[in-house]
Amino acid sequence: MADKTNTIFRALDRKAAAITEFTMRQYRTKISTWVVLVTGIIVICLLMLFYVDAMQRDFEAIDNDGDSVDSDGDLYPDGQERLWGTDPFSDQIHPGLFDPPVPPDDPSKWINEDDFDWDQSPSGTQTVSVGYDDDGDCRSKDTDSQKDTNDNGITCDIELSRDLNGNLRYSSDAFVDEDPDDDAYAKEALHRASILGIGKLGFVFIISIFIPLFLATGLIRDEMNSGTMHYMLTKPIARTEVFLYRVLGYIGIVWPYLILLTLISAIVTGFAGPGDSFFRFSEFGIWLAILFAAMLATLVYGMLFCFLGTMWKYGIVLAIPFAAWELGMALLSMGVPESPILRFSIVGWAMVIVDSASMIIWPDMDLLISSGFSVEVQDSFGFEREELIGSEALNYFFATPGLGDISPFLSMIIATVVLLIQAIVLLFIGGALFKGKEIE
Amino acid sequence: MMPDFHQEGQPEVKEWAPEQEAPVILIENLSKTYGKIHALSGVTLALSGGVTGILGMNGAGKSTLFKILMGKLKPSSGQVRLFGTNPWKNPAPYSRVGFVPEGEKMHDWMTAHDFISTFARLDGLTRDEAKLEADRVLDFVGLGDVAHKQIGRFSKGMRQRTKIAHALVNNPDLIILDEPLQGCDPLARTTIMNVIRELGRMGRTVIVSSHILSEIERITEQIVILHHGRLLALGNLHAIRERLDNIPHRIEIGTDGPKKLAKSVIDIESVHGIMFQSDSVLSVQTHNLGDFHNNLPKAIIEGGHKVTSIDNPDDDLESILGYLTSGSRL
Repeated sequence: MADKTNTIFRALDRKAAAITEFTMRQYRTKISTWVVLVTGIIVICLLMLFYVDAMQRDFEAIDNDGDSVDSDGDLYPDGQERLWGTDPFSDQIHPGLFDPPVPPDDPSKWINEDDFDWDQSPSGTQTVSVGYDDDGDCRSKDTDSQKDTNDNGITCDIELSRDLNGNLRYSSDAFVDEDPDDDAYAKEALHRASILGIGKLGFVFIISIFIPLFLATGLIRDEMNSGTMHYMLTKPIARTEVFLYRVLGYIGIVWPYLILLTLISAIVTGFAGPGDSFFRFSEFGIWLAILFAAMLATLVYGMLFCFLGTMWKYGIVLAIPFAAWELGMALLSMGVPESPILRFSIVGWAMVIVDSASMIIWPDMDLLISSGFSVEVQDSFGFEREELIGSEALNYFFATPGLGDISPFLSMIIATVVLLIQAIVLLFIGGALFKGKEIE
Repeated sequence: MMPDFHQEGQPEVKEWAPEQEAPVILIENLSKTYGKIHALSGVTLALSGGVTGILGMNGAGKSTLFKILMGKLKPSSGQVRLFGTNPWKNPAPYSRVGFVPEGEKMHDWMTAHDFISTFARLDGLTRDEAKLEADRVLDFVGLGDVAHKQIGRFSKGMRQRTKIAHALVNNPDLIILDEPLQGCDPLARTTIMNVIRELGRMGRTVIVSSHILSEIERITEQIVILHHGRLLALGNLHAIRERLDNIPHRIEIGTDGPKKLAKSVIDIESVHGIMFQSDSVLSVQTHNLGDFHNNLPKAIIEGGHKVTSIDNPDDDLESILGYLTSGSRL
């Protein structure tokens, strides 16, 4: 028995290797292959240029609470006057009249002076207290009621809780963490938003659908049209096997290509990303997840498009409405990741893998997003809530896995299994169709 | 269970075991229709051993028949058995069959050796064995010295021979060649014909199609004639002609004195008409070709005539088809 398994396995292995190798070599001789692959590289490189440009830019340090202004013209910035308890709107009283007199601060000292101190996030119905009043303009208030404007019994803090949907809610005492480092925030948020945006839309959707559209649709169809399929099918080999090995040959080209593209992207974001370290190794994980999701997506799409091409000479026509559907699903997965309709797509499942990984790799993600929305920004009309640069983009591209209240690891495993099942089902449908196909 | 990465072992595919004693090809009442068009209708045929020519005009159903045999097309009705097995949706018999498809298209970017050794592995050969096998079959068809040139640079004849070599991998018992001589120059034709005859001598069952009688005649006398999807005749080419005895055959004899020759020939019993076609050609009509050919040499020798050629212009496919379908010519 062992001998027989061995025999069958080796025979399969030889046929598989022969057709897979043949397919890969055939790709190399086609100009279309090179055009498609080079276009993909150019697209990713352009996106990387935009990313590097954003990382190199200096985001203006905004005085989010407006306390660097000297409202009364006594040379003491409002923040310094608040800290010492003098009236910022009266030039008759200021810390210079104290004994000993306090010299006025440079106004720039009162910009970005109260950064985020959000170090934990609540789980479930929990409520946590975060934040620290770095510049002391809350702690210097006279009464506890002034220091505890959110009425949670803790002075000068920010209270975090979750609403019924699990989204983070914050309630802040006045003048706590109100003037963060805008540049640092924007860079961190844009860095993460770029990785997620390029990864999800660029890799998992655009690259993963267009490469198979151009490379996999003709795997069987072109051979049937040109009549060269006969050279393969006159040999003792089942057609489902031919279908499978042709797709494997396509995978043999596409997966290494995806690895190359991901490696380029990971190296660029690793070096150009914000932070004190020379290279952000910690984010290789998210790139690995993006690569994994894109590999599975290209496999399933490859099977699908190869099948559509086998079914009908103009199968690419059928692929176009499908691609439009998948685009809709890709966008939906970022806005409403828990939408059940996503389960009827391929890209919806692939996105679950990336979203799960981003939860594992960036556990502080919702804190980062929420803090970006928590800051008061002064404009000419007074105080108004406005988000920090980058928070909007990050909020758009980040999504929770959407498979319900389960761990991200489990989400990732479920999505992987579903995608593999999709590939296997398409293989059998495609193989059965090809088997019953008359070849002129 | 380790994958055979080095591919150095022995071929391990079990020989597919055909039903014993089954004819190589068995076709029963086979029909194939495309809408209202009957590509094949009611063909019944059994073949085993030797070289058989399938003759038919373009569109007679030769390629359709082959594609059904190769499991590429599904019969509309009737049965096909290849070594006793139905080939539709079953690739098992192909371990014993080599097929040379019609059509020009090949993988032009490959070398002939590459092309053959790559697909030879689908027969279960290892990489190394496939290379040896490619060397062998390419030598057999006389392409050994250009084995490592790209197929795209080959002439039509060389391309056909490459396709034949591809079909000969793994020593098939049955070789089907669809119009292998089409578009070849005379030298290539001769080479390919020799290859086919050699295969016949080696005891293989060879089926070769053509729409040109003289080509088939040089390869084999055993023919099958297809016409508009029907099997018109089956057997020895000359026997078929003999069976049509009541139909006049025309023989053209080239001679320096047609009138003198006519006097001798008219005495042969089976001759029923004589015509002077030109100053050097005498046209004789006979009901019995065999009898005429038996008596002609005697008449020539006795009369002391000088004969330069004996031609049988009716003996081409069109005339035979004409006889078979309408009973008479003209």
